[in-house]
Amino acid sequence: MKVRKDQGAARSGFEDWYWQRLSAIVLALLLPLPFVLIIAVYSGRVDQFGLLDLLDHPLSRLLHTLLILALIVHAYMGLKVICEDYVPHIGWRVTLIGAMLVVMSGFGIWWLAMIWAWGG
Amino acid sequence: MGEMIRLTVFRYDPERDAKPSMQTFEVPLLKPGMKLLDALNHIKWELDGTLTFRRSCGEGVCGSDGMNINGVNGLACITPVAGLKQPIHVRPLPGMRVIRDLVVDMDHFFDQYRQIEPWLQTSTPTPEHERLQTPEERAELDGQYECILCGCCTTSCPSWWWNGERFLGPAVLLQANRWLVDSRDEATGKRLDQLEDAFRLYRCHQIMNCMDACPKELNPTAAIDSIKRKILARKS
Repeated sequence: MKVRKDQGAARSGFEDWYWQRLSAIVLALLLPLPFVLIIAVYSGRVDQFGLLDLLDHPLSRLLHTLLILALIVHAYMGLKVICEDYVPHIGWRVTLIGAMLVVMSGFGIWWLAMIWAWGG
Repeated sequence: MGEMIRLTVFRYDPERDAKPSMQTFEVPLLKPGMKLLDALNHIKWELDGTLTFRRSCGEGVCGSDGMNINGVNGLACITPVAGLKQPIHVRPLPGMRVIRDLVVDMDHFFDQYRQIEPWLQTSTPTPEHERLQTPEERAELDGQYECILCGCCTTSCPSWWWNGERFLGPAVLLQANRWLVDSRDEATGKRLDQLEDAFRLYRCHQIMNCMDACPKELNPTAAIDSIKRKILARKS
């Protein structure tokens, strides 16, 4: 392996590591809730109107927003690390990470619009 | 004739061979508790003098004879042949350029070691006597200072295989932590500055091959985690 000139530290990486763990905690707490809701609907405990009332509640919208933000941050950080690991060409790497950022932000904005727009 | 041990050994001379090959040898079980290095020495001295490998102390202190033994990195001199599945596959450490047979080019590994400036750095005036430590402060170094830089952990790390040019690897990061936890060292801030990097430090994904491979039973993953927590504490 070629001995490289020491480039020094880029003073980066901490934020990725920190946000990945923070979003993981939020996901661990909030991700079970939609599954509880699905089970409640399928077991007949909550009907369609009950479900809409639950989702409409301001607290539900707030938790839903947190969940979707944590999901996007977590997925983005994870995929970014995978790109950094396995895509050695810097041009491809930056393009892929940039494309991911655009697609995932777009998805997030669309989803947040759904959460806050319905019900009126 | 006594019991024989079967080995297949990686052979490669870049100046003569187009590609590497595995060569099979049979070595007599020379003594109870025989180590793999004894078998390699027997091959070199009695069967094929061209077999090339590094060794020095022969007792797990110098770290010269790190190699890949049946798929796991370890030191030949402290690996008993008795516990190994035969034929014993002996290969050079993975992820490093082969100079010949089992000898690899460790220049980059030691270059990375130099990058963490592995010596005591102080700014306060030198005291009249030694820089003293309490027994508790000295105990902080246990599990850190014993590393012999054999390279078994670093060359077992997939993150280092993919990004070895920038990721410092478990051995060097364990050594970085050794100076961070040393109560006498006064360059903590500078050291953390030099480590805080998405590739140098944060490429560790806690795969933990390093722990498995370490012949001194050290825990580089825990050391890397300790560095990350120091950076977290500094930022929070």
